[in-house]
Amino acid sequence: MSILLDASARILIVGISGKFGSFSVKDLAQSGTKVVAGVAPGRHGQLVEHIPVFSSVATAVKETGANAALVYVPAAGALDAVLETIEAGCPLIAYPGDGLPVSDAMEMRAAAVSAGAHLVGPNSPGLISPGKAKLGFMPSFCYAPGPIGVISRSGSLSYEACFRLTSAGVGQTSVIGIGGDPVRGVNAAEAISLFHDDPDTRAIVYLGEIGGSEEYALAEYARRSDAKPAAALLVGRTAPVGKKMGHAAAMIGSYAEGWAAKVEALDGAGVVIARDLDGLASAARSALTRAMQPAA
Amino acid sequence: MLLTEAQGKALLRAAAIPTPKGHEFSSLVEIRQASLEFPVAVKAQVSAGGRGKAGGIRKVDSFVELNNAFYTIMKTAFGGEMPSSVLVESWIAIERELYLAVTIDAQAGGFSILYSPRGGIDIENGPPPLAYRIGLPRHFRAHAFRKLLEPVESDIKLRERIIAMARRLLEVATMNECLTVEINPLVVLKSGSLIAGDAKIVLDEAAAFRKAATAAAIAASREKATPDIRMCAESDLMLVWLDGDIGLISGGAGMTMAAMDAVDGAGAQPACFLDVSGNPTPSGFATAFDLLDRAPKVKGILVSMFGGGLHTDRVARTLVDLLKARSSSKPVTLRLQGTRSDVATEILRAAGHQNHATLEAAVTNIVEKASHAP
Repeated sequence: MSILLDASARILIVGISGKFGSFSVKDLAQSGTKVVAGVAPGRHGQLVEHIPVFSSVATAVKETGANAALVYVPAAGALDAVLETIEAGCPLIAYPGDGLPVSDAMEMRAAAVSAGAHLVGPNSPGLISPGKAKLGFMPSFCYAPGPIGVISRSGSLSYEACFRLTSAGVGQTSVIGIGGDPVRGVNAAEAISLFHDDPDTRAIVYLGEIGGSEEYALAEYARRSDAKPAAALLVGRTAPVGKKMGHAAAMIGSYAEGWAAKVEALDGAGVVIARDLDGLASAARSALTRAMQPAA
Repeated sequence: MLLTEAQGKALLRAAAIPTPKGHEFSSLVEIRQASLEFPVAVKAQVSAGGRGKAGGIRKVDSFVELNNAFYTIMKTAFGGEMPSSVLVESWIAIERELYLAVTIDAQAGGFSILYSPRGGIDIENGPPPLAYRIGLPRHFRAHAFRKLLEPVESDIKLRERIIAMARRLLEVATMNECLTVEINPLVVLKSGSLIAGDAKIVLDEAAAFRKAATAAAIAASREKATPDIRMCAESDLMLVWLDGDIGLISGGAGMTMAAMDAVDGAGAQPACFLDVSGNPTPSGFATAFDLLDRAPKVKGILVSMFGGGLHTDRVARTLVDLLKARSSSKPVTLRLQGTRSDVATEILRAAGHQNHATLEAAVTNIVEKASHAP
């Protein structure tokens, strides 16, 4: 299994006529993912890379049975596009864009939650279930099917981290980018709970960073008696206080948002800590080893 | 985008939140012409925290003292920033100091209200503030916040004033698209009424396309920024200077931090966070090299890119051209891995450069080379 996304995914791309949209059609086709529709207002009836284009998401969903959406719309129009997608009944939506105003992210999240839909993003490469389907623009060669569920706040870190896991023979059920912004759709706690409920995920790898409090959700989970084993790599050990390190949410405002406090909390809860990228594959393997031992 | 206290208080006053009577001065001439009632508080205006502990806030009793305080404050950097002005405010008689803030919280999916019965400059050392998680601003409920306050604030009148103030701060945050609206201290006067002793307001820079005031604040801070930071902002590069001597050119926020940590793991320290993923073109890399070649503290440069969507062979060609034209003799180590890296390795080898296979090998190499640099 996997979380949220599997081989039955029928993907529609909102903003298919843009640069990112048409790149994605080809990239997804190469990865074996089924793209069934595109949406671009005013372009009903056209084709992009052989994919039919519709003017509205509702029509696209009705005509093609699309059940997952990838939204490539600039920040200023993103809230409207995501709301349209949610209201058309799409249960899974990825919005990868960055630079989204936080108040729009709040509205997106609230709308998704109340519709029972799952929103991945903003500021995220999306979601991939290796060997099954991809809803995003991460480089496919970094991933392979396997027993690890990966959660990441950073796109670039997740590519290289997963490439290292894959090279070390540690494959993944799904890899979800929860994004680098302060308000997100699926958050760390929700991603953890999805992996907890997925029978094929035997251990969780969390790729975090300084700033915010998402890492404490993993510490809380790891203390549960029925928790799956977890490993974590947090970056930003050498980041100074009060400076934004690229991501909107990667800034140490208080001690609890720093590397040491988070690592201490995770370590204390029994999460295997990789101090550097170098140690990630072996941390993931030791979490997997724990998963194979009968519960004490 | 952190506003100065004076800018923040202007937003509070626009929402009818009481602040002490004050004037902002950027020269002694202006101060001499002002009519002031002493004592007053003189406060450095910078977009950085921690100025209270660093001597950026002083109580003065006369014009002579005010002149001296102005002179001292204006030539001191607070959090790495020189003040462009001081805020001179009537001294207020503090009965009690509280902490009240509206902030963004991932687990709330939006806004949270933070409250502590003991505010002031040592807030970080005390117990964590109470958090009322709201999410969307329209989900604020006075009764829910009241329930949280009841165990810590027994004074009914004060409690209701705090609740009303919290709602007002939430309105300020919503109307101005703020990520943080923090009042510390929120001062209780002898009369029992509340007044904002300070204001820390962070605007959401992503909203600049529809908030003219935010766009103006960003433009003004870019004017004040160092030439390096300005040059990077204009080239879509992300730069933060750090204390070490290994110059780092990397791609992606998470991987750039991972590379910084790897430098630390190899016993050295990074000189910067420099993310070129926003502009991985010949001009982007040229700006990055120019910056690090000119910085005296940088002893060696590591270029580490992992190609996902990025084709590393293109980066390799760019680097070969740049290194040929470059006059600096600072050592450089390259590591291009991922998409088309076999081609990248060949291109580099043909030009006499080594492509290191992994981040760790590259870090070890540059740390070693930099240790021999003059």
